[in-house]
Amino acid sequence: MKWYKRAASGLMAAIMTLALAACGSNDQIENPGGPDGTHLNFSCYNYSNSMDPITNVNSSWCFLRYGVGECLFRFDENVEVEYALCDSYETEDYTTWVLHIREGVRFSNGNAVTASAVKASLERVYAAEADKSGNSTPSQYAAFSSIEADDAEGVLTLVCTAQTINLPGILAYPWYGIVDTSVIDSEVIGTGPYYVTALEENSTIDLAKNPYYWDGEAPYDAIRIYLTEDSSTKAMALKSGDVDLVENITTPSDLAELKADDAYYVSTTAGVRLGNSYFNFNGVLGNEALRQAVQYAVDDATMCGVTVGGMYTAGCSVLPSSLPYGYDQLTDPYAYDLNKAVETLDAAGIVDTDGDGYRELNGQKINLNYLAYTSRNLDEFAQAVAISLEAVGIGCTVTVQDYDTALANQSAGNFDMITSNAIVVPTGDPSGFLGNFYSGNSSAYGYYANEEYDALYERLLTATDSDAQLQLIIQLQQILIDDAATLVHGYYNSTFASRVSAVDGADITPIDYYWITTKIRPAQ
Amino acid sequence: MKRAMPFLKKNPAFTVFAILALGVIAAAVFAPVLATHNPYEAVLADAVQPPSSEHWFGTDRMGRDLFSRVLYGARTSLTASLSLVCIIVTAGTALGIAAGYFGGILDAVIMRISDMMISFPGMVLAIAVAGILGASVTNAVIAISIVSWTKYARLSRSLVLKIRSRDYIAAARVTGSKTSHILLRYMLPNALPTILITGATDIGSMMLEIAGLSFLGFGAKSPTAEWGLMLNEGRAFLTAAPWLMVFPGLAIFITVVVFNLLGDSLRDALDPRSE
Repeated sequence: MKWYKRAASGLMAAIMTLALAACGSNDQIENPGGPDGTHLNFSCYNYSNSMDPITNVNSSWCFLRYGVGECLFRFDENVEVEYALCDSYETEDYTTWVLHIREGVRFSNGNAVTASAVKASLERVYAAEADKSGNSTPSQYAAFSSIEADDAEGVLTLVCTAQTINLPGILAYPWYGIVDTSVIDSEVIGTGPYYVTALEENSTIDLAKNPYYWDGEAPYDAIRIYLTEDSSTKAMALKSGDVDLVENITTPSDLAELKADDAYYVSTTAGVRLGNSYFNFNGVLGNEALRQAVQYAVDDATMCGVTVGGMYTAGCSVLPSSLPYGYDQLTDPYAYDLNKAVETLDAAGIVDTDGDGYRELNGQKINLNYLAYTSRNLDEFAQAVAISLEAVGIGCTVTVQDYDTALANQSAGNFDMITSNAIVVPTGDPSGFLGNFYSGNSSAYGYYANEEYDALYERLLTATDSDAQLQLIIQLQQILIDDAATLVHGYYNSTFASRVSAVDGADITPIDYYWITTKIRPAQ
Repeated sequence: MKRAMPFLKKNPAFTVFAILALGVIAAAVFAPVLATHNPYEAVLADAVQPPSSEHWFGTDRMGRDLFSRVLYGARTSLTASLSLVCIIVTAGTALGIAAGYFGGILDAVIMRISDMMISFPGMVLAIAVAGILGASVTNAVIAISIVSWTKYARLSRSLVLKIRSRDYIAAARVTGSKTSHILLRYMLPNALPTILITGATDIGSMMLEIAGLSFLGFGAKSPTAEWGLMLNEGRAFLTAAPWLMVFPGLAIFITVVVFNLLGDSLRDALDPRSE
């Protein structure tokens, strides 16, 4: 009987060991590069499940950010345009541009990147905008009357509908990412150092090394991207070793811990991203005194330094102080001053007549509909602003929505204030962003309108002299400040955090179109 | 009072937990007196301060006094959970008694709807309903009510079915008693003790569900002082400023334990089978 018991207990132990081993294997992060290959586990926020540049802004960014696609030009770490798939260009009148396509470049499926292939890719994104099969709007930055390809010479001739001085910068924008249109119905193929092998929506993306990559060998055989919504989860995944690299830890406490620990390298770059809240001029915030009071009531320095733990650098203009656009020459008449906020409201007759603690405008209690989304601390800004406004008797209800819903409400004008975080030099110069306040474009940004601003902006679009451009940009900024056109919170400092023992070269670039690049490599 | 004192003496566990529950309710009622600060007054520069003599539980990320917010949170949580239990007890019992007494199509319709509700995971359905209605404490109460009334309906129906065919019910019918009289005079009193005991034991779990919905962003909205929402707001600071989660978490823990044990002791005191 004893042998029987021993055999039974041995069998049970074996079963339990196998069961535990099976459980354990599920908890391990898989190595998509195989047991011998180099691989990287990267965790990032999921902005889009698509990587097709025509789908929308976010999908086009993902195309570049994941190292899958490239444009004809790209930005370096100084926000200067440099050559990518195009290796030279000529223009005499800023209308006709002759671009030479780099020889020997192949898509990740082996197909050659010819002038015709580039032409087809560019025409596709414009066609998608025209027939509304995509939400990307490339004509916002440049429109072409003709695109001609000469494969024998490797030359692409672009004729713009108007003088387009910054075309190389515009063509570096992700909407103009080059895809292989011959296979686009089945997969999105680009020329980046990696290509997609598997995609599970809202969960993971597997990438593999592009064997045809033109700009040196990709350092990793495989990369797995974990799409993680929550900043703390990303930080914890990095600390536990589940991932090697994460982008934009937005929780100040987590970021402070990583910075203090030598085991992690945190790369921070002075922001070219503006954190602000747009006002809806078609609502109660069309009232100038109310807007001025809002500006007076909000303590941006404390919000940037304390509320969001230094994730932003405070400022008053829409263009960051770190960029060479004359920030020092601007004056802010609405710097934080609660007394002035109260005085301004009282002087304008915006007072609390019924004693409920909230002021009324035209007999109606003010209750601002403030929309926010959770990206890059924007919801925290909204809550801090609402608290600040309550202190001077301006009612404010913050509603945190997902990005797409908030964007839809913004486009429809269903807001009084809405948070935003955007790159202000998306094409290497700020004219595109400043266009958000041009009356012809401002319907999606709160219907701001100022004739003087419009006239100066139109001059900026045709100015070729850099000094004249700078002076115009400074004047435009000052008009926006004087009109209290938008509530500027500060300038976002983008971050990358990596495990020192696993990754080298994980530096974030000011223009964060580029996350996975060949500069990120295994630690030696 | 004369009847209550012997009952309390006979059930010391119930007495203790009743006193503790009254203490929690008193904390909520007298929050304006007990709070050291205005729970909604924010000093942004004083964000995430550790516990001190000035701020007993520290401050949150907007520089609000956490002790005062935890106290005021008791108001939100208790009001919401007690309202919720009242709603589901009333609605569930009424539907259950109607289904059990009248039978037929009415019984089939109510019970099939109840079966449909039960076939979904409760919290998932509540999240879906709250997601459609929009985030607020009221909507969270409605969402959980929609998925939680079924228990009371099934319970009261089974209790009614037990007595529906008894002779005294038949006697009431033949003597001309109105249906409403039978329902209120015979059916409801028969079901009530069991229903009330179940309701009392449910207060704690309902409080957890409301806190859960708020934690997930489907309940209370900032800047409301609500424990689940406060837990969510403190989540990002779990390692750097643990007091942001510890104190609201403790408040939930203590309150839920007190009300659960109160429900259990009430059941022990009233359930004849336990004697």
